[in-house]
Amino acid sequence: MSTPDSASETETEGEAAAAEERFVGTGLERVEDRRILTGEAEYIHDVTPEACLEMGLLRTTHAFADIVAIDASAARDHPDCELVLTGEDVAAAYEPMPCGLNGLSEWSLARDTVRFVGEPVALVVAADRYVVEDLVDLIDVEYDTRDPIVDPIEARRDERLVHDQIDTNVPDGETLEFGAVDDAFAAADNVLENQYSWGRISGVPLETAGVVAEYDTETDSFDIDCNIQLHTLVDDTVYEPLGYDPDDVRLNVPPDVGGSYGTKIAIHRYCALAAMASQQLDGRPVRFVEDRIENLQGGDMHSSDREYLMRMAYDDDGTIRALDVNFVDDFGAYPRYPVNQTLKPLSVVSNAYDVRDVRYNYEIVLTNKTAQTAYRGFGVDPHLYALETAVDEAAADLGMDPYEFRQRNLVQPDQQPYRLPTKNVYDSGDYPAALARIREIVEEREETEGGLLDPDVVERRREAGKYRGVSYTVHIEPGVSGADWTDRQRSDRDALADRDIEDVAELPEHLRCVVDDDGTVRASLATDSSGQGHQTLVKQLLADELSVLPSDIEVDYLDSVDAPTEYGSAASRMAVMLSGAAEGLAATLTDNLEELAADHWGVAPEAVTYREGAVERDDGDEHLALADLASLDRDTDPDDRLTRASYDYQHPALDHEAFDEAFAQKLPVYPTAAFAANAPIVEVDVETGAVEVLKFYSLRDCGTQLNPMIVEGQAAGGLAQGIGAALQEEFAYDDAGQPQAVTLFDYLLPSTKKTPEMVLEHTETPSPFTATGAKGTGEGGMIDGPASVATAINRALEPYDVVVDRIPATPNRVRQWLRES
Amino acid sequence: MSADNTPGVEERPTREVSLTVNGEDLSASVEPRLKLSDFLRQHADCRGVRVGCEHGVCGACTVSVDGDLVKSCLMYAVQTDGSRVRTVEGLAEDGSLHPIQEAFHEEHALQCGFCTSGFVMSTEALLAENPDPSREEMESHLSSNICRCTGYQNIYDAVERAADRLGDLDVDA
Repeated sequence: MSTPDSASETETEGEAAAAEERFVGTGLERVEDRRILTGEAEYIHDVTPEACLEMGLLRTTHAFADIVAIDASAARDHPDCELVLTGEDVAAAYEPMPCGLNGLSEWSLARDTVRFVGEPVALVVAADRYVVEDLVDLIDVEYDTRDPIVDPIEARRDERLVHDQIDTNVPDGETLEFGAVDDAFAAADNVLENQYSWGRISGVPLETAGVVAEYDTETDSFDIDCNIQLHTLVDDTVYEPLGYDPDDVRLNVPPDVGGSYGTKIAIHRYCALAAMASQQLDGRPVRFVEDRIENLQGGDMHSSDREYLMRMAYDDDGTIRALDVNFVDDFGAYPRYPVNQTLKPLSVVSNAYDVRDVRYNYEIVLTNKTAQTAYRGFGVDPHLYALETAVDEAAADLGMDPYEFRQRNLVQPDQQPYRLPTKNVYDSGDYPAALARIREIVEEREETEGGLLDPDVVERRREAGKYRGVSYTVHIEPGVSGADWTDRQRSDRDALADRDIEDVAELPEHLRCVVDDDGTVRASLATDSSGQGHQTLVKQLLADELSVLPSDIEVDYLDSVDAPTEYGSAASRMAVMLSGAAEGLAATLTDNLEELAADHWGVAPEAVTYREGAVERDDGDEHLALADLASLDRDTDPDDRLTRASYDYQHPALDHEAFDEAFAQKLPVYPTAAFAANAPIVEVDVETGAVEVLKFYSLRDCGTQLNPMIVEGQAAGGLAQGIGAALQEEFAYDDAGQPQAVTLFDYLLPSTKKTPEMVLEHTETPSPFTATGAKGTGEGGMIDGPASVATAINRALEPYDVVVDRIPATPNRVRQWLRES
Repeated sequence: MSADNTPGVEERPTREVSLTVNGEDLSASVEPRLKLSDFLRQHADCRGVRVGCEHGVCGACTVSVDGDLVKSCLMYAVQTDGSRVRTVEGLAEDGSLHPIQEAFHEEHALQCGFCTSGFVMSTEALLAENPDPSREEMESHLSSNICRCTGYQNIYDAVERAADRLGDLDVDA
């Protein structure tokens, strides 16, 4: 054991500096970058244990068919084949996968019937992926095809069923009413009723899904490395199909995941199948990496696909009186977990507008398509698109400037915190000022000489058939979802009225740490990450809380068995939840360290103080640095060590009674309302129908910015995805249920050519509900980008009375609108 | 297709391929159908070669072959016999990041990082050809790589910063 003095000598200088410096709020460069830039990062594709076998899947090419017979003998008899499993083999030994609705389940390999193109029918294992694909080709399946159910509007008539056993293609839906909606509609001067379509899109991360599973014959348990998102929350989707207890199925997510945006929440089919294969092969490791065609065609990862019927009541002066929101959401062949994206828009049902009377009706519809999962925005993006387009139409109907119409209806700053009729609460923000400011910025910079909206330039471009426009909109980004409400659709909804706040079971955010021998504080995250920079964030937060340098903190990850069940990195939670968790963890650790030091000196804990990486005696100049404290603790039983701490940060909305009703009734609880005032400038070529976003102005506010560099990165990346959704991304299906976008030549991700210059401005209105004043902001640009671009096209094509009633606004659709105008 | 047409491992054809990868000589016996991307990952320990689409759109697997920028998923390993291949692993020297890598780090030009190797390799080729590219030239050159996280703004800033730094290095030399 080193003496206190010698051990702390070298640290004194750094700690003095650390005490003065605050790291939260700075653009601290990311700790994740170096390993990625040098190629050393270990993504799931790089996890290859010795003698690892490869798995491949035979997927059906039929949208809807009964399986008559499977002949896998040629594959099984091949000398290179290690294993073939079919749906019947799986059913004989394992359990089905859980669904997002009660009463439905799904087998990881199809039995009897295939219900979407790309649905896996058999798995094959061999030593080499190339050979696996050869062997997959040797399996013969005889099908009896059925007429596929493709159009969700037709599907809801239930003339033919996707699942015979449930008697309907609409397994869930609700009508929720808040206020006196019919009265408000009857009293209003005007009523608008329009339909809007939101095309099927998804996150399409550059890294596909992957898993390496190893069954342990000694302990009868599984070790599964995979890039699943929310591994501590959705581990049931893996252990249930295996038929094992949670503690026997260890899900471990690599520190680096090549993007997810929600889409990897539902990759459990692959995890379960690889685990089953390893078990059947006496524990030999089995690896599966989805290829891009599998990912796009049948990768269980499409997202919202909605048809809206939006009704809005408004007065002649432009006041919105009521909303009546109706939509069907095409979930494909199975309502997989999650299904509550149909409910999340309730948390921002009137966006930034003050509307008291709202009806909300949704239907989950099943068709012969690959299933939906989460994607950044989680169902709010289509809602804001439909709402803001309706607002444009109402303003046009009244002959009002849509800017004025919007300003008239915005929630005022003196109404904050603002309680929506749907029971969620916005925390803070001056929306009218943000909207005014973004217009001012654009007018100053672009409507002047030489600007993109210089009236002379606009006129000249019009003469050449190029129509420019800008729209000004404000959008709320609901952040930091509670967990309890998310199973509303699997709950007894009739019993919810009798529930109160005592019945609510939230999931806290878990964070733990140990002090290493060299004084490094090693923190462990219970959530997984996919590019958000959580390791950097925790370093910043803990460095401030402990008054040390970020380099004194290391951050790693826990697997699903070591970590408690928690929600994880979804719903823009981490900035807020980690803020609170870091604060609590640091307080717990410093209490522990004071106790340890006091005990060492034989004084009362009150006689010592933790300060800047050391505990000091209040009555003298003795002090023990972190490394010294670790030495003192070295011989203690690990479970009793005071140099360890853990903390579970409870969801912040539980501290505010305003949320009690939403919590009790399992209505969406999102206690932070980041917001953005947007102004994309678009140009539409009225001959080709091509839309170009020339520049995207956005004034964004996510409360206190913990790391402005990361905040800005999230905003820009989200907006790029929003622009893709608005203009070019779509998983279309033909009438036979054949997917039309199965390569990246068909599913068009925004390239440098389609992503405009973004001018991002930031304001900070701290949240009164969170530890650091931060608001969740991981999804913003994808939530507000599509509506913003759509309304800007409406402005540009005002002379033609064109309204973007369907997105993506592809050139052929724009030409069609122009022809019909 | 019948089983007879899928030969077992002992019968599948192989060919010798010899090349240099990041300056190191490498010889291997491979199936002619093995993609260069898989070869580099499996036989050359270059796991920084990321495989994102395997049909030449995303650019994550971009490497340099005899000085030409190549999507390694669109080439077979045997086509590189006698070639010099460079991957992202060849950039950092003695543990120090290459100025392009430094610039990507400093400008937050990566989030999930899966596209990053490809962008770094593309940037290296761009700056070798055009030491002071305009934004439009960057847009054009980098349009063969997809990034799903950043919205590209910070990547342009990183290219600019790297160009400045490499320019300064040239002056110093």
